[in-house]
Amino acid sequence: MSLRLRAAIVSIALLAAFLGIWHLATRSTGATANMSPEYARLMGLTATQGKSAMPGPADVGAKLWEHLKRPFYDNGPNDKGLGIQLAYSIARVGTGYLIAVIVAIPLGFLIGMSPLISRAIDPFIQVLKPISPLAWMPLALYTIKDSSISAIFVIFICSVWPMLLNTAFGVASVRKEWINVARTLEVGTLRRAFTVILPAAAPTILTGMRISIGIAWLVIVAAEMLVGGTGIGYFVWNEWNNLSITNVIIAILLIGIVGMLLDQILARVTRMVTFPE
Amino acid sequence: MTDKFISIEGIARRYPGANGDATTVFENLWLSMARGEFGCVIGHSGCGKTTVLNILAGLDEPSAGTVIVDGQAIEGTSLDRAVIFQSHALLPWRTVLGNVAYAVSSKWRKWDRARVKTHAQKFIDLVGLSGSEHKHPSELSGGMKQRVGIARALSIMPKIMLMDEPFSALDALTRGTLQDEVRRICLETGQTTFMITHDVDEAIFLADRIFLMTNGPGARLAEIVENPLPKDRGRIDLHRHPYYYALRNHIVDFLVSRSKSFATDVPDHDARHVPTVRPGVGDPVIVSPPRVVEPNAAQSAAR
Amino acid sequence: MSTFDDPFDADRELTRSGCICGGHRSADEHDHAERALRCEPVLPAEGEEKRYEAVVASAVMRAVFPSDIARRAFLKSVGAGAAFAALSQFFPLKTATEAFAEAGPPEKKDLKVGFIPITCATPIIMAAPLGFYAKQGLNVDVVKTAGWAVIRDKTINKEYDASHMLAPMPIAISLGLGANAIPFAVPAIENINGQGITLAMKHKDRRDPKDWKGMKLAIPFDYSMHNYLLRYYLAEHGLDPDTDVQLRSVPPPEMVANLRADNIDGFLAPDNVCQRAVYDGVGFLHILSKEIWDGHPCCSFAASKEFITTSPNSFAALTRAIVDATSYASKAENRKQIAEAIAPANYINAPVTVLEQVLTGTYADGLGGVKTDAKRVDFDPFPWQSFAVWMLTQMKRWGQIKGDVDYKAVAEQVYLATDTARVMTEMGLAPPAASYKSFSVMGKSFDPAKPDDYLASFKIRKSS
Repeated sequence: MSLRLRAAIVSIALLAAFLGIWHLATRSTGATANMSPEYARLMGLTATQGKSAMPGPADVGAKLWEHLKRPFYDNGPNDKGLGIQLAYSIARVGTGYLIAVIVAIPLGFLIGMSPLISRAIDPFIQVLKPISPLAWMPLALYTIKDSSISAIFVIFICSVWPMLLNTAFGVASVRKEWINVARTLEVGTLRRAFTVILPAAAPTILTGMRISIGIAWLVIVAAEMLVGGTGIGYFVWNEWNNLSITNVIIAILLIGIVGMLLDQILARVTRMVTFPE
Repeated sequence: MTDKFISIEGIARRYPGANGDATTVFENLWLSMARGEFGCVIGHSGCGKTTVLNILAGLDEPSAGTVIVDGQAIEGTSLDRAVIFQSHALLPWRTVLGNVAYAVSSKWRKWDRARVKTHAQKFIDLVGLSGSEHKHPSELSGGMKQRVGIARALSIMPKIMLMDEPFSALDALTRGTLQDEVRRICLETGQTTFMITHDVDEAIFLADRIFLMTNGPGARLAEIVENPLPKDRGRIDLHRHPYYYALRNHIVDFLVSRSKSFATDVPDHDARHVPTVRPGVGDPVIVSPPRVVEPNAAQSAAR
Repeated sequence: MSTFDDPFDADRELTRSGCICGGHRSADEHDHAERALRCEPVLPAEGEEKRYEAVVASAVMRAVFPSDIARRAFLKSVGAGAAFAALSQFFPLKTATEAFAEAGPPEKKDLKVGFIPITCATPIIMAAPLGFYAKQGLNVDVVKTAGWAVIRDKTINKEYDASHMLAPMPIAISLGLGANAIPFAVPAIENINGQGITLAMKHKDRRDPKDWKGMKLAIPFDYSMHNYLLRYYLAEHGLDPDTDVQLRSVPPPEMVANLRADNIDGFLAPDNVCQRAVYDGVGFLHILSKEIWDGHPCCSFAASKEFITTSPNSFAALTRAIVDATSYASKAENRKQIAEAIAPANYINAPVTVLEQVLTGTYADGLGGVKTDAKRVDFDPFPWQSFAVWMLTQMKRWGQIKGDVDYKAVAEQVYLATDTARVMTEMGLAPPAASYKSFSVMGKSFDPAKPDDYLASFKIRKSS
C-alpha cells in the first residue's frame, strides 16, 4: 500500500471519528421540563427538545446543501447567496492586494537596490509593520469616509508589508555575480531590473505575496464583520446575529477552502518562478 | 614590448581601515599586454589578483592610476571586455541558449530573435554543448556550466577575455579538457586573454607570459615570466619538454619562498620596469634588463 | 395616537386626541395593506388621494364649524355625503387637495438608510418591503449595519442618507460626545417601549434588584435609553450603577451568546434580543422596559442637518414614509404580518415566532408562563422634545455631559417636533399640539420645564 493511500485512509478515519464525536456531542436530550403546550409553542427547540445549541454534522450538511443549490440568489441588500458574498470578499481582497502589489514591488525594488533609501525608510517600516491591520479601520473610516474603500485600504495595508520586505530582501540579496554579469554586458538599470533582479528575486517576492494573501484573507473576514454590507464576513456576522451557528460553521468551512485555494494559487505561481540552482 | 594593447599604469587599491589608516592591497602596479597574448597572474590569496581583474573588467575602480585598453582609458564595464567568472555566474532561470542569447542581445540590441539565436548557437557549438541548448544550468555538470560561461563570454566577441580562476571549482579531468578547449579557441580566434589562476600547470600550459605577484597587503608585480615552451604544446606531453621543469621550478620557488620575502630582498624594485625572465636549461635568463631607456612617462601615458 | 381623521364621521370628535383606526375600515385600505404585505408596490392609489381630500375637507369643516358640537349636529342632520357635496359647492375641494398633495419632487430618489437588526427598527425596515418608501417616490435601500458606532460613522460619512439610531445618539453626536460635533436631527421616534431586562436562568430566584450587587449587566451602547433606564432602575433600588454592578457595552447580537457563555448575568436590551434569550432557553424576562417608564422612546430615525438642508424634499418624503409606516405599525392587527415581513435574512434575520411574540405582545416569559401585553412595544413617531430634555438630564446625571447645558436649545435643535407636526398635519394625521409633555418614570414625575431641579432630586448620581 502506498504511503499516499495509507495517509488518505487515516485522513478519512480521522474525519469520520470527528464527525461521529460531533454528532454524539450535539444529540438532543429529548423533551426537558414539562411545559404547557401553549408555552412550548413560543419557545425554540433548544429549550423544548433539549437540542444542543451547537448544530450537529447532519444539520450543517443539510444547510450546506441548501446553500450550494442556490449560491447566487439576491434577496435585497442584506441577504445574498453565499457565492455572491464570497465574490464580494474575493473582489475586495483582490483589489486591496493588487494595489499593494503595485505599491510594494516597485518600492521594494527601490529599497533593495539603494542602501540609502533602505536605511531611510527602515524605521518607518519597522513601526508600521507590527500594527494590527484592523487598528487602521477607525482611522480609515474617519479619513476615507467610505466603508468599502476602508475595507480595501485595510487589505492593502496588511498585505503591503510582507511583500515590501520580501521584495526588498529578495532584491538586496540577488547574487552579486548575476549583477556583475549584467554590468559587464552593459545592461541598463531598467533592463537589469527586469531581466536579472526580478527573476532572481521572484521566488522571495512570491513568498512575500503568499504570506500577504493569507493575511489579507484573514483580515477581510474581520473587516467585513466590522463594516458589514456584503461579503463572507458580513454573512458570518448576519448569521451570528441570528445565532445560526449552522450557517456560521458553513461560512468557516468556506473561508477555509477559499483561503486554501488562494494559497495554492500563489504556491503554484511560486513554483513557476522558482529556479533550481 | 611596444604593442601595448592593454596597459595598466600605476594602479593601486586601498581600503579604509578601521582605525583610520588605509589598508593597501597593492600599489603602483604597471603591466602591459600585447594583442592576442595570453597572460596569466599567479599569486597567493590576498595579493589582489581578483581586484586587478575586476578593475580591468570595470567592475571595480582603482584608488589611483589608470588602465588603458586599445588606446582608451577604461571607464566602467564594457562589452569589449568579457568576464568568465569563477562561479560561472549563469542565470539559473535561463536555459543554456537563453544565457548566451542574453549576452548576444545585450551587445546587438537591434538584432531580431532569430539572428540572436543563430549567433548564440554558433558559440554553443564552439564550446561543444550542441544538444544541451534547452537545458537549465541546474541540469548541467560543473564543467558544462563553465563551458556555457565561456560561450557567453566569447559570443559577444570581446577584445579581451578576463578569466577569474575559471576552472578552480572543477575536478582535474574536466579541468584538463576545458583547458584544452580554451587554448584551442584562443589560438583559433587570436583572443587576448587575461587569466587569474592558482594552478602552476594551468599557467604553464595556457599562458604566453606569467605575472608573478608577491603576497599582500602591499602586493607588487615581482616578475614577468616568459613561457619558453613552443606554441603548439600539448597538455599530455607538456612535462616532457626540457624547459618544463625549469619553468615550473622557477614559479614554484617564487610562490613558496620569494613571494613572502620579496619586499625585503629587493628593496630597490622598480615597479614600472619589472624584469622579464625566461627560464630554460640552466639558470633563468633575464631577457629584458631591469632598467632600460624607455620613452618617458608622459609619452607612455599618452598612449 | 396618530391616525386618519374622518371629518365626516359624526361619531368622531375632530379634536387632536381623537383617534380612529383608519387601517382597514374601507375596502381600499384593506386592499392596500394586503398588497403591501404581498410585497407588491403600493401605488399612491385612491386611498391616498382620499386621505388628502379628507385633510382639506377637515380643515374646511373646522373653519365652517369651529365647534365640535355644532359640526356633529350638522352632520347628523344632513348626513356626511350631503355635507361633503354641500361643502364642495362653495369650496373647490378638489383643487385644494391636489395642491396639498403636491410636495416638491425629491432631490435624491435613491437613498440608503442604515438599520440595526432589532425590532425597534420595525418602521424603517418594513417601509421597504411594504412599499412605504416607494409610495413617496423614493427608492430606498435599507442596509443592515454591524453596530451603533458603525452606523454613526457611516451616517456621518454620508454613506447613509439617514439612519436608525438610539434616541440619545443624535443628541450625543450634535453635542460632540464620543465623536466630532456634527449637527444631527430626529424627525421621528421609531418606537416606544419594546425593551426588557433579561437575566440568566440561574438568577430566577434573585428578582429583587437589591440582590444584584456585583452582577455584570450588558447594555447596547453608552448613549442609549437602555443605559439610562437600567441605571435609573438600579439607582431607584439603591444600587450605584457605577460601583455596585459592572455595566458593559455589548452589541445586541452578542448578548445572548454572552449570556449563554455566562460572561454576563443579564442585560437591558432591545427586543428581539430579550425574547431570543427566552426562545433559546438561556434567560428569562425580569421586567419589560415599559414597567420602568411606560411610553419611553427607544430608537429614533435620524439624519444630518446637512442632508436636511441639501435635500429637503427627500428628507420630507422620508419623514412621511417613516411616519406612515410607524402609524401602520402602531395598529395591533398589522403586527403579525409585519413580523413575517421583517423576519427574513435580508432584514432582521430572526425566527418569526420570536418577532411575533415581541410585536403582538403575547410572549413566553422564560419561566414557563405566557404573558400578554399589547403595549409591549408600540410605535409613535412624534419626537417629543421633552424626551430629549430627559435624556440630557440623564447624560448629566451619569457624567456624559460635564458643565451646563441649554436643555431647551439642544432639544429643539435635535428633535424636530415642529417640522414633524407639520408633516403629520399635511399627511392628514393629528400631531400633538405641544412638543413638551411631562411623564413619570417609576412613579416619579418629570417636568421638562425644570430639568435642573429634576436632576438635583437624584441621590445616586455620578459625582462631578
